[in-house]
Amino acid sequence: MRLAWQTVRHRRAAFAGTFVAIAAGVALVSGAGSLAASSRPQAPDRYDASTVAVHSPSVGQDEYGNPEYRSWTTPEAVRIASGLRAVPGVRAAVADPVFYVQRIAAGRPAGDAEASLRDGHSWPAAALGGYRLTAGRPPVRRGEVVAGDPACQGAEPCHGGASPGDLVVPGETVRVLTADGPQTWTVTGTADGPGWYVPADDALRRSSGVRVIGLLVDGDPAAVAQSVRRVVGDRGTVLAGSDRGALEPDAVSRVRWLGAQLLIAMVSLSVFVTVFVVAATCGLGAAQRRRETGLLRAVGATPGQVRRTMVAETLVVGAAAGLTGVPAGALAAPLLAGPLVRAGLEPAGFTVTAQPVAWAAAYILGVVVALAGAVVAAWRSSRVPPLEALRETAAERRAMTPARWLAGVLGAVGGTVLLALLPRVPLTQRTTAGTGAAMLLIGAAALLAPVLIGPLVRAVTWPVRRSATALLVREGTRTAARRTAATAAPALLAVAFTVLLTGMVATIEGVEGTDRAADIPAALVLAPDGAPGLAAAAVRGQPGRSALPTRVLVGHGGATEGLDAAGVDGPDRGAVLTPATAARLGLRRGDDVRLWWADGTAARVPVRAVTRDAPAGLCLPRALVREHDPVALTPVVLLDGAPVPATGARTMSARAYVQIDIDAEGRLVRLFLWVLLGLTAGYAVLAVANTMAMSTAGRRAEFRTLRLAGAAAGQAKLVAVAEALLAVVAGTLLGAVVAAVALTGVRDAVAAELQRAVPLVVPWGAASLVALVCAVAATLASVTPRLVRAETAGSGR
Amino acid sequence: MTMTKNGFAVELRAATRTYSVGRRAVTALAGVDLTAAAAEFVAVMGPSGSGKSTLLHCAAGLDRLTSGEVVIDGVRLAGLSQRRLTVLRRDRVGFVFQAFNLLPALTAAQNVALPRLLARRRVVPAEVTAALDEVGLADRAGHRPAELSGGEQQRVAIARALFTRPAVLFADEPTGALDAASGREVLALLRAAVNRRARTVVMVTHDPFAAAHADRVVWLGDGRIVDALSGPAGTREIAMRTAALEETSSLGEARR
Repeated sequence: MRLAWQTVRHRRAAFAGTFVAIAAGVALVSGAGSLAASSRPQAPDRYDASTVAVHSPSVGQDEYGNPEYRSWTTPEAVRIASGLRAVPGVRAAVADPVFYVQRIAAGRPAGDAEASLRDGHSWPAAALGGYRLTAGRPPVRRGEVVAGDPACQGAEPCHGGASPGDLVVPGETVRVLTADGPQTWTVTGTADGPGWYVPADDALRRSSGVRVIGLLVDGDPAAVAQSVRRVVGDRGTVLAGSDRGALEPDAVSRVRWLGAQLLIAMVSLSVFVTVFVVAATCGLGAAQRRRETGLLRAVGATPGQVRRTMVAETLVVGAAAGLTGVPAGALAAPLLAGPLVRAGLEPAGFTVTAQPVAWAAAYILGVVVALAGAVVAAWRSSRVPPLEALRETAAERRAMTPARWLAGVLGAVGGTVLLALLPRVPLTQRTTAGTGAAMLLIGAAALLAPVLIGPLVRAVTWPVRRSATALLVREGTRTAARRTAATAAPALLAVAFTVLLTGMVATIEGVEGTDRAADIPAALVLAPDGAPGLAAAAVRGQPGRSALPTRVLVGHGGATEGLDAAGVDGPDRGAVLTPATAARLGLRRGDDVRLWWADGTAARVPVRAVTRDAPAGLCLPRALVREHDPVALTPVVLLDGAPVPATGARTMSARAYVQIDIDAEGRLVRLFLWVLLGLTAGYAVLAVANTMAMSTAGRRAEFRTLRLAGAAAGQAKLVAVAEALLAVVAGTLLGAVVAAVALTGVRDAVAAELQRAVPLVVPWGAASLVALVCAVAATLASVTPRLVRAETAGSGR
Repeated sequence: MTMTKNGFAVELRAATRTYSVGRRAVTALAGVDLTAAAAEFVAVMGPSGSGKSTLLHCAAGLDRLTSGEVVIDGVRLAGLSQRRLTVLRRDRVGFVFQAFNLLPALTAAQNVALPRLLARRRVVPAEVTAALDEVGLADRAGHRPAELSGGEQQRVAIARALFTRPAVLFADEPTGALDAASGREVLALLRAAVNRRARTVVMVTHDPFAAAHADRVVWLGDGRIVDALSGPAGTREIAMRTAALEETSSLGEARR
């Protein structure tokens, strides 16, 4: 252990790469971990005063693993609430209906469309957030409203309420958009919380049942929760303390989920790449130190001792790097909170808190990763024979081990076979299989790089084969294939990933628009304008077709599952199913669909038809949907005539409408892509620079000989730089070729899936940028060690 | 482990070592018998390619014989596992190479103590200082190899080799990379180890002056012992014998 510590101190330069790689990895994991751990589901602010809440019962999980709830019907909610008021310690029990309200300013819906879906409340529910009147009186009659304070405090930015500079005063009227259509309300007062508050019965009428009853309690919430639980029984879930996070709206949880996906991707990528960099560094270091290892063996170190020493060295470096990385990540995490919220990957009001568990996990992970990277090199080192100490020249050992050959050839064969078999893979799995093949080929190219580099270098240097520098560079690169490959491999991986990922995204995006627009039979559509959907009034009387989406719970056998259904116009009051849905639910024409509507009402709807022509899996009469899901909004109307103008609606081409979705999706995909590519490129630069610095430092004698043989200082430097660049160029070419082959395979798969030609989009710009960055890093790294040495040359012998 | 105590620090019996280079088999040692008694200083000479380095490596357990037998301090090397061979080297054998003898990360004192540290034995700092003092470097204990001259490095290597009180010390061209003055110091230290500490030294060299410090000189040629000289001999005599041997061998070459 002491030997390890001293070696690390002595060979600081050799361990710099490992240190930086682990420190960067640990910083990333500790930062991402802090962000992820801070992003806990949180009850909205408007439940701040309600320390105990009851949620309507969960009937299972939806397809994303989130709980699927059944709403209470209004009478059910009222009954439960009044029963709860009798529980000792409960001061108030308030049913909390929620509905869509958006203010109309200058003829258009204003504010955050998505958030306005949750802005309508009943006035009694204002007490759950501790909100009070700031002016006027509570609403009493239908058409009366208390307007939330536009300058409401708290982290959640204000939406729904009047925008600043456009204050509403009690007594005035206000134009709002609801699921029914535009309405004019009288403002009876203002409150110090966000949202719009209407009389309780009005709110219950406007919402699709009730899902939350908030309680105001006296005394210990946990104790009250216990007694509440006894009263509620299986009619709902009682939430207190940290469980109240379950009150978070789905839309907010979805944002968190997106953020978590990015963080997970970043962490797994950086862990994987850190192992790779550490393993490469340790391997190179071990190769450079064969004589030293041989000497250790000669003076009596057992193979186990050599192995332990090597591992201990990396452990020392990993432990120190972790101490740097953890605070760096922890300090950087709060700075990222803002950008993440802006990018729509964390909900508004997201703050980062201290997460010691995440820090500890990042630290331990760093050490484990360091060990994982060191183990192979240590094992190889321990097999160095003691005679190695007596070898004068550290002649390049075989670059390719049998294992490397095997893995490389297997990868290449596997990838090629998979690409060749692509046409026979089921359509739905072709893109996945294509990506898998690409990964195999890229991995194989990296493994076989030492073999491929030689011919490639010969080809690249063919035009300049007569100059002395070219000769040195060319022969040096070819004989030291392993060193060259170590520099080329990171460039290869970075360029290949860039070409493959950005190329795939660009290619698929290019076809997706026309593909989806092809699904829409109409040329023109009526789409929401500033609103989350079309209100009933906007849809009514439009020439064309539309569907009103709703979520119902369907019982089949003993199970209950959530299902997206569509409300469509039809002659009768029955359900129409597609064959697939019918088969899954075990229903035939004439059976009854047992379902619960969005408002909690149980119903039986007869199956009128099972047909492939059904516009959705489960189609229900529009009037019934509207009746049982008053907050449902229509996403789009497919026009077949001139539209009637309506508030919160605009006419556009089907292509433009589809593009809105694609753009929103594309923005996220691109964000993910750039973060991941940035990480890949960053690590590639680190790996290239590290390899170059280590190998150049290890080649002093060689360069001294070169100088003695009559090379000018500039020429020696030129040789080093040229070698570095040649390695990067070779890696770039290999990476681009492999990725292009794989990309073509994926393109063919997509084309077959869509049954039409797909133009291949190759991201030359991004790939060149990554290659350029690698080249710059390699150049700087190959020059720097010598500059340092020039300064210290006098102090040597 | 078979013990055959008979007073020899190291014995080679019918030592043969062949290598395969491509399809050809190259014989480096062809049945060499060589012993070194306790407190004896043996020099092995011979032209390049005569097998003297292979002899040393095999005798020291760094390399394995194809046939024949090596016994160090009564222990047969044949059949020892890598681990036991390592332990034997650590405990009973000392090494001095031509160059690159020290671990660059460790100080002189740490380099001396290294075999004991590897054996997980207690290291008394005073003993390390004494060992360095014996080679005249007590004041350089805290210096790293890069801060020492070539001669000083070699003296540290000798101190380290003697520190474990080995049964035999193998030296491979110990003066090959040194200037004359430093070389003399190193040879004097080896001689002193034999005279004062009763250590056994087997040294491979091509330098007649170095060989003149030995009690006995053997010459190798084509993997066999071709000549030997017992009792202290002068540099001139050794040089003349060497020259004569080289002449006959080159004549032999020419005749073939």
